[in-house]
Amino acid sequence: MSVATETRRSPVGRVIEMAAGGHRSIPVLVVLAIIWTVFYSQSSAYLSFQNITNLTLQIATTAILALGVVFVLLVGEIDLSSAVLSGVCAAVAAGLCVNSGLPLPIAIGAAILAGMVITFIEALVITFGVPSLIVTLGGMVILQGLILVVLPPEFTVSVAGTPFAKIASTAIPVGVSYGLAAAGTVFFAVYRLLQYRERRSTGTRISATSVYVPSLLVAVVLFGGVFTLTRQRGLPMPVLIVAVMLLIAWYFTTQTRYGIHLYAVGGDREAAQRAGVPVRRMVIYSFLILGACAAVAGMVDASRQLGVSVSSGGGALMLNAIAAAVVGGTSLFGGRGSIWSAILGALVIGSISNGVQLLGLTTEVQYFATGAVLIIAVAVDVVLTRGSILPGRR
Amino acid sequence: MTALLELSEISKYFGGVRALHEVDMAVHEGEVVALIGDNGAGKSTLVKIVSGVESPDTGEIRVRGEATNLVSSRSAVDAGIRTVFQDLSLCDNLDAVQNLFLGQERHGSFWSGRRIRRHAMEEQAQRILESLSVKLRSLSTPVVALSGGQRQGIAICRALISDPAVVILDEPTAALGVSQRAEVLDLIHRLRDQGRGVVVVSHDMKDVRQVADRIVVLRLGTKVAEFRRGEYSMSDLVSAMTGAHEPLDDEGGDQ
Repeated sequence: MSVATETRRSPVGRVIEMAAGGHRSIPVLVVLAIIWTVFYSQSSAYLSFQNITNLTLQIATTAILALGVVFVLLVGEIDLSSAVLSGVCAAVAAGLCVNSGLPLPIAIGAAILAGMVITFIEALVITFGVPSLIVTLGGMVILQGLILVVLPPEFTVSVAGTPFAKIASTAIPVGVSYGLAAAGTVFFAVYRLLQYRERRSTGTRISATSVYVPSLLVAVVLFGGVFTLTRQRGLPMPVLIVAVMLLIAWYFTTQTRYGIHLYAVGGDREAAQRAGVPVRRMVIYSFLILGACAAVAGMVDASRQLGVSVSSGGGALMLNAIAAAVVGGTSLFGGRGSIWSAILGALVIGSISNGVQLLGLTTEVQYFATGAVLIIAVAVDVVLTRGSILPGRR
Repeated sequence: MTALLELSEISKYFGGVRALHEVDMAVHEGEVVALIGDNGAGKSTLVKIVSGVESPDTGEIRVRGEATNLVSSRSAVDAGIRTVFQDLSLCDNLDAVQNLFLGQERHGSFWSGRRIRRHAMEEQAQRILESLSVKLRSLSTPVVALSGGQRQGIAICRALISDPAVVILDEPTAALGVSQRAEVLDLIHRLRDQGRGVVVVSHDMKDVRQVADRIVVLRLGTKVAEFRRGEYSMSDLVSAMTGAHEPLDDEGGDQ
């Protein structure tokens, strides 16, 4: 490293910089810890194994949708239609699987394809120059009509007792779950070790704790998670779906050039274009990923609710998904954030509504609390950004 | 010695407007040529032509003596000409390495998952930054947190990734403070010492005097004067740029 002595920073400044910069997840985890502490002090059932498992299942849909939203936010666009789209895709899948009797994998594939085709059309209009806010607002209304077309005349499809219901109700055997946790830990440790070796070989000074400590943390999270979530039955399938999607998204955004291009397009489109980044194509890719995520989110939700209806993908799902991404630290203006914000933000928002329901508080309280957390999260973000010399945090 | 880049009788019209009229210019190895002129003198049009963004209506461009058509930015890059535009075109949210390699990242094969080779890129970035003595606290800080001089340094280093023979710098010192300006002028000297041809487009005569081996003055689309280092005074430059004393007649600075 060519090290130049620059202005020395105070410890407070460095903490702020870490919180705003590479360690953007830390303030979110602090918020999460506060929420859990508050609810736990009101009711000890809040942090019971059973309730944590419930919470995980409740947030799965929001987290998957938020993951897609993160991709679109990263390139500096916005989407309002993906929640309704998830309902449409669920209707397609349930219709094909239950009413037409097609095998489940084909129904799932068709639903994902449908989601991607619809977001592809939206993305084409957006890259043509129409603002994404308008395209997806219009798209949302059109999709609300489309779900009426896709659903059979009685406007509901029940999936109870069909293979479709198994998506959410399948439990992965405890032994296999621990195996997966072990595989995940080994994978992570090997990854860090290779990175460490590579840096070592280039003469960079780096301590071996950069391998052990994070690996230990990952082991604690994975084994702790599996232990907690397998108290009643095996590991719920939606948890595995979320984990696999996060893993793929992590690889895509941090380990490939496409990831860098996503951030570049969100950071400065003009500069990205001049450097040879295919800007329009990156925007389209993001929307395709959103389409796939919306389809998966819709199917997981339908499978959990045991049916699809006109209201599938309605309600607060869209706003919750966007709020989750933003609360988790992804900027609404592009180029900043990470895929972890989807799961962390969904956890924050899910923890509030779960706690409110557990304590038997009224729905108003839930709305007040969720809205306030969203505003506070963004306000904290603004403060951190101003206090930091790194507005371009990632 | 053949010039690295030679322009002869370049003309460019936009509709009826004459932007450039029969402009000649040459850049040799290890030479800094300054291109100065008032607003609207045709500097940016000339830069666009040599960077392949615009094509000239008439005239010839020779690269190392060979006639070359620069029909796109790509072809200019392939011909060994890189341009650093005034706005630097850096992505603020990316770090130095990501910016240096943006659009030309190194990555592994399909079978190794097309992983970007961050370390290979860091090493090369390190070498290039060191070759111009650009000092950064860390390679992984987003460039928005860097000083104007460092950002200019990164933009110039990015141009060096493809090892060009000619580097064109468009207003490199505009909007910089005094010390950063000195830093950038040092950068220009180092580029020259590496044996590259450097074209500096500027309207700051003080900088140009410090750094240029030769100065080409444009006014209203024509080349009105050319000065060698030490063969001109400040007022020569001013009068050539503004046409105050009809420099063509009384300067005799042309060639």
